[in-house]
Amino acid sequence: MSLEQAIRGLVPSGSLVFVGGFGQCVPFAAGREIVRQGVTGLTLCRTGADILFDLLVAAGAAKEIVVGWFGNPGIGISHICRRALAEDRLRLRETSNFGLLLRLEAAAMGLPFLPTHVLAEGDLVPDGGRRSVVCPFTGLELTAVPALVPDVALVHAHRADPLGNVQSSGILGDTLAGARAARRIVVTVEKIVDPAEIRADPGSTILPAHLVSAVAEVPFGAWPSYVDGVYDRDDDYYRAFDRLSRDPAWVDNWVQDTRTGVAEVVAPARKAALVQAAHEPPHAA
Amino acid sequence: MQPDPATLAMAWHAAQDLADGEVAFVGIGAPGLAAMIARRLHAPGITMIFESGVIGADPDKPPLSTGSPSVARGAAMLGSMMDVFAALQKGIIDVGLLSGAEVDRFGNLNSTVIGHYDRPTVRLPGSGGAHDIAVLARRTVLLMPHEPKRFVQRVSYVTSPGHPGVGPRRPGPGRGAGPAALATPRALFRFDDGEMTLAAVAPGFTADQAVEGIPWVVRRRQTLASLPPLPALDGPAFHFMHKGGAE
Repeated sequence: MSLEQAIRGLVPSGSLVFVGGFGQCVPFAAGREIVRQGVTGLTLCRTGADILFDLLVAAGAAKEIVVGWFGNPGIGISHICRRALAEDRLRLRETSNFGLLLRLEAAAMGLPFLPTHVLAEGDLVPDGGRRSVVCPFTGLELTAVPALVPDVALVHAHRADPLGNVQSSGILGDTLAGARAARRIVVTVEKIVDPAEIRADPGSTILPAHLVSAVAEVPFGAWPSYVDGVYDRDDDYYRAFDRLSRDPAWVDNWVQDTRTGVAEVVAPARKAALVQAAHEPPHAA
Repeated sequence: MQPDPATLAMAWHAAQDLADGEVAFVGIGAPGLAAMIARRLHAPGITMIFESGVIGADPDKPPLSTGSPSVARGAAMLGSMMDVFAALQKGIIDVGLLSGAEVDRFGNLNSTVIGHYDRPTVRLPGSGGAHDIAVLARRTVLLMPHEPKRFVQRVSYVTSPGHPGVGPRRPGPGRGAGPAALATPRALFRFDDGEMTLAAVAPGFTADQAVEGIPWVVRRRQTLASLPPLPALDGPAFHFMHKGGAE
């Protein structure tokens, strides 16, 4: 299935979308396709947002984010989201990363809520996003957080077979929690492989085919994030983005280049360097 | 991106509160640096945990983000986010290292907004795992650059709660003891009775300089300790700073 086919129909305007990937395997190619297809009115969720959120907000695809953190990982605030919030083009519902994770885990287990020890103190989640509950066994007072059920989860991974059995490795973060919580899962992979290859190593499978609605092969589909052992994180891109995304004119051009496909053309030498860096042997402990 | 000398000094001071064999929940920037330094000197058996699910991490250079390749490379285990937050809630993480845009005299941290929530003067990236670490870690160590505007009587938004303002935080089920120390490039503060108290001063600074610009009269211990001098930057403690390549 092509990426165009995988996104069309499965990510309709107005959906609640879980965006997978934690540092690694951020589904940038799927996000760029959403922009190309002119989808609007999305609500995006995950624990800590990556700069793919910036693209979807800047392009007008997303109107709301439900997060524990948003910005450019390790660098700082999202200039695009900050502007959109100030101009009332974006709604933010924030909690802590664990609070958001528990909302997804509740949905993944088919429960309406989960209790936790966090969020009872401090100023996070004021209105209705948390309730006090008493443990019926111990009498202990806890905080309940409501299930968050995404309409669709976007996941990028190493490989899958054409049926949708998906394999990955490396840092997954909250990706599987969000995928299990969602009503459907759309997957992009570096490589489509024969089912026999998957079944030769079932321990590496992270999502079974019956949960996956669509799978498309998109090499370098996580760039500028990374795929463990395939290509490294393009840290220079993230650093430059912090500087460039302060300028609304640059952002407009970037969105335009995404629509035309220019924005995802990585120079061959750059690609080769990122691939080589991913094969650096681990240091001695 | 290599940390500046003041950041290294702050991390070095925070590292003084980390003991060998402890399990530490860390983040990016100075908090992670503190654990990396401790691991290379007095606490080789420290277990570093990142919110991305990485357990027993051993980054060979300061990582750019918690999900970066350098966090995963050479780690003992790549777990899920639930693995590490569940352990935190279970009460088995000895220490959490935290920073924020603002801190107050009771160790409350703000990393959400400066000013009014709906119309903030400065919007910040939000809690991430900071709130969870502040509540659940057995104790926390805070790191703050010596910038007086970051120290306020009361933070305008409590992202990560500290001590209650009337005595120390009482630990219990799902509730750690709160801030044990606050490190700056100039000093180490303790939270005696739940209030930030100057406890030790770095070489080259006086007690007055350690609290310079902080907008309340900072309590001082009767006897102030001296912090050990920063190790040589070209020595083993900071070997990781000279590595090239991806972060």
